[in-house]
Amino acid sequence: MNTLIDFHSVDKSFHKGKQSVRAVVDANLTVKKGSVVGLVGESGSGKSTLGKMLIGLEMPSEGSIHFEGTPLWKKKKFMRPRPGDIQTVFQDPQSSLDPRMRVKEIILEPLLALGSRERKEKGGRERLTSLMKRVGLKAEHLDRYPHEFSGGQRQRIAIARALITDPSFIVLDEPTSALDVSVQAQVLNLLKELKNERNLTYLFISHNMSVIRYMCDVIAVMYKGRIVESGPARELFESPRHPYTKILLSSLPSIFREKGPVLSFAPPSEMETGEEACGFFDRCPFRMEACLKAPAFEAITEEHGVACYREG
Amino acid sequence: MVLVLKDLCVDFTGMRGKVRALNNVSLSIEKGEVLGVVGESGSGKSVTALSILGLLGSNANISNGEISYSGQNLLTLGPKEMQSLRGKKIGMVFQEPMTALHPTMKVGNQLAEVIKRHRSVSKRQACKLAIEALKEVHIHDPELVAKKYPFELSGGMRQRIVIALAMSAPPDLLIADEPTTALDVTIQKEILQLIKELNDRRGTSVLLITHDLGVVSNVCDRVMVMYAGEVVEEGITEAVLNAPSHPYTEALLHALPDLADPGEPLKAIPGEVPDLQNRPAGCAFASRCPKAMDICGVSAPALELVSTNRSAACWLRRDTH
Ligand SMILES: Nc1ncnc2c1ncn2[C@@H]1O[C@H](COP(=O)(O)OP(=O)(O)OP(=O)(O)O)[C@@H](O)[C@H]1O
Ligand SMILES: Nc1ncnc2c1ncn2[C@@H]1O[C@H](COP(=O)(O)OP(=O)(O)OP(=O)(O)O)[C@@H](O)[C@H]1O
Ligand code: SF4
Ligand code: SF4
Ligand SMILES: [Mg+2]
Ligand SMILES: [Mg+2]
Repeated sequence: MNTLIDFHSVDKSFHKGKQSVRAVVDANLTVKKGSVVGLVGESGSGKSTLGKMLIGLEMPSEGSIHFEGTPLWKKKKFMRPRPGDIQTVFQDPQSSLDPRMRVKEIILEPLLALGSRERKEKGGRERLTSLMKRVGLKAEHLDRYPHEFSGGQRQRIAIARALITDPSFIVLDEPTSALDVSVQAQVLNLLKELKNERNLTYLFISHNMSVIRYMCDVIAVMYKGRIVESGPARELFESPRHPYTKILLSSLPSIFREKGPVLSFAPPSEMETGEEACGFFDRCPFRMEACLKAPAFEAITEEHGVACYREG
Repeated sequence: MVLVLKDLCVDFTGMRGKVRALNNVSLSIEKGEVLGVVGESGSGKSVTALSILGLLGSNANISNGEISYSGQNLLTLGPKEMQSLRGKKIGMVFQEPMTALHPTMKVGNQLAEVIKRHRSVSKRQACKLAIEALKEVHIHDPELVAKKYPFELSGGMRQRIVIALAMSAPPDLLIADEPTTALDVTIQKEILQLIKELNDRRGTSVLLITHDLGVVSNVCDRVMVMYAGEVVEEGITEAVLNAPSHPYTEALLHALPDLADPGEPLKAIPGEVPDLQNRPAGCAFASRCPKAMDICGVSAPALELVSTNRSAACWLRRDTH
């Protein structure tokens, strides 16, 4: 498979007055064409920020991101690849759809970035109706407003909106987190079918490990802005290497999980740690002196990498 | 029994007319028991909790049924008596901890104030007990945390404080409505462990509302499954999850991605929840049920004992026809 996206040493800091937050720190990640890459990690770990740098909403402070071999950002400018080639679906269908717009306008809106010929071609009545049908909605829904729909239906609208430009890549940021289990299953099935039909590539952000396991080929685990482990989904689930990944997996409240050894966070360390310590030091049950200097992210196999002395 | 609900019906009057949010809901919780309530959004979980707490809004009407707490009929109590029962005998924890905390008061003082209200102690003693209470919910460095304002704490810490507040009386029953839904899984696990620990140690009964069957399987002794404002199944957690009696419980379990083969589609439940305003004549699940029979569309099955320790509301489980 060819590489579609390549993050190289990407940093993103936010500044608020004198304070600065390092939302993403030295991120390296490749996304292969036609694959689904999952991003997991606790709230505030930088998942959405990483996704936003791909759609032009946030600019990297350092490092480079390549899309099909060309840089996405050049001198603070977002170099949109083919307009509409990268699309997004967000978590909360309630707030991501403008309540004053009709469904039809919502779905057609991304076409405004396209040239007039392409806009006409892609926004034709027939294409619109068949897209509505494909995502499980009806043509008569086009003239209604978002509030007239259930959460699952609103997420279908958001998916239709993402697909209208015929993208090759979609950032899915917690697309089913606000949905009930039964509706989630419908939406996940739809996303999987669409991916296969259209040879799409997804960056799939979620905090639900069961959803990630089901949807993704590759998983990257983030902790405090850093990718601490990444690898093939199966391998990561069967033999997680980073202590945080292990804790995450043993926290799963799954009905079906065999009750394996439980690993928990260590109580906060009393030691003074500097900027250069391992980011997980404070909560790590395996920390040692050496960890006061952060480990580099290193490959264990060709596809599986981890940033930890204990498991490198 | 600490709590018994019998055939509870709750109607809301809104702009579009009357909505039956709860339809003949019955449940019981024994001393020291953790009862889980699961169901999809809108199935009536929160309305059940609010009914018990006497916190339904003015547009709600309890049109039928009984709620009894330690043998006392709660529906005959006045607002003052209900208020004293809440907090003192029945503790509550909701999804968003900020709603239960005073935003501009240090958390230690909030705890001390509540403790003073429940027990006759001096201010100094109350402050001491507040520190103890923080220790009990496993807050490291309680003296330091006591001096903080809620906004200075993480979501998980705030929820611990809310639990400390709820447990301060201490109550006989804790009602927790999605207490960990807004938290990270690793923190969720810690909070659930804490609730379970308080339940074990103090014998507090718990009504735990969640939409997460995994949470239920980890902490609840019994589970009750709700659908469209009705209880469709109830029993011992492990037994219900291993061998559900009701087709809806079964469908819900099968829709989970937890065990699914990534190469196969998930078993989604077709269709949608019925409109509560136009409740179907028969079984509320009939339009989506793969096992529906003729009778299901005509007449609604009541919740009945189908085996020892198990109730279900489904015509399939009746031997009598
Ligand atoms: N526009 C912004 N200005 C300042 N800080 C920000 C901004 N966006 C994000 N941050 C900070 O960057 C960090 C990472 O945030 P991000 O939203 O990427 O996390 P996340 O992993 O998506 O979390 P969640 O699971 O809660 O969605 C957080 O500390 C957040 O507060
Ligand atoms: N104050 C109210 N006024 C009118 N209808 C209400 C009110 N509160 C709840 N309802 C209705 O009662 C039904 C049950 O709602 P409830 O909040 O109990 O659901 P829930 O199971 O807690 O769902 P969720 O998982 O989304 O919290 C819903 O149809 C809801 O719209
Ligand atoms: S490097 Fe050290 S502190 Fe960091 S995760 Fe590994 S063992 Fe823990
Ligand atoms: S009563 Fe009929 S429709 Fe309802 S759950 Fe049972 S079999 Fe299905
Ligand atoms: Mg996010
Ligand atoms: Mg609720």
